[in-house]
Amino acid sequence: MPQLPQIYPYKPGPIEYIAMPGETVGVWVNKVYEFFRILYIEGLPRSNPLLINLGAPGAGAQTAVTQLTLLEMPDLEFGQFRAEVLDDVEVILYQGRADQRHKLHTRVATYSRFLRREDPDGHTGEFYVYEDNYAFMQATNNTDYALTQARVAFHGFRYVLETLTQYNWRAQKLPDAWTRVPGTAHL
Amino acid sequence: MPHYIDDKPRGIRKHSQVIVAPVTGAAIALYQLTLGGQNPRTAIVRKVMIYSAVGNVTVTIGLGLAGAFAAILPPFYALNLFDSEWTEDEIPEIEVAADITVESDIAGPLVMIEIEEIGT
Repeated sequence: MPQLPQIYPYKPGPIEYIAMPGETVGVWVNKVYEFFRILYIEGLPRSNPLLINLGAPGAGAQTAVTQLTLLEMPDLEFGQFRAEVLDDVEVILYQGRADQRHKLHTRVATYSRFLRREDPDGHTGEFYVYEDNYAFMQATNNTDYALTQARVAFHGFRYVLETLTQYNWRAQKLPDAWTRVPGTAHL
Repeated sequence: MPHYIDDKPRGIRKHSQVIVAPVTGAAIALYQLTLGGQNPRTAIVRKVMIYSAVGNVTVTIGLGLAGAFAAILPPFYALNLFDSEWTEDEIPEIEVAADITVESDIAGPLVMIEIEEIGT
């Protein structure tokens, strides 16, 4: 029996797009979902332009909170990304500069080289960048020696959107079926 | 089917040229780290091959040229007229961010390494 494709955010396994062109998504921004139709999807392969070097932290030191300008998205687009930490650092993701992602009540989960042991495809660290809601990262060197680099590589998909003005989260005028995109940390 | 970290190498495999190792104090480049792009790569020595026809030799792999040489691994001892190989099970995982260089207590052994380059 044929099955519908099972696509959704944070899907385990190698990265897949979260919705198909023509489908509706709700992007979480400014504490509401804004609704869009996906017009176009394009892959963003893991490659040199999608790698950031957060710096050279000394033993026990942190890098600055660094804006991921390389992942900026144009208007009416969002990106879906997975991250791979290449050096022995622990990395926190922010969206804006002061809003940590992957957080609990008292702790913030981080990206590190250990992540690959339990999550080889990095699905638990998947994140989304909507328009100019910039992502930031900060690396901590927990070793007792200086590191000459703190690199994080990204790959994913970009989605080109069309605004659906007939839907409104506050008025609870919602599409019948839509995919939730956690595009910001607005909570 | 589950897959584990060993199924997914960190980087790509590459190799040095076959280099004639110079005498101690005159270390030369063995493997030059890939240039280009916006971000540095790092490298891990995975395999070492040494062949000597100049006598039993002690070959050292490290960083830095000539008098600036510093070993990154203990010396490899190769017998005259034998081909000697060390594979990754026998080599500690030393990751470096600079060109890899080599020297020998007697000039003349042939040295080649396979490395894993990490980055993009």
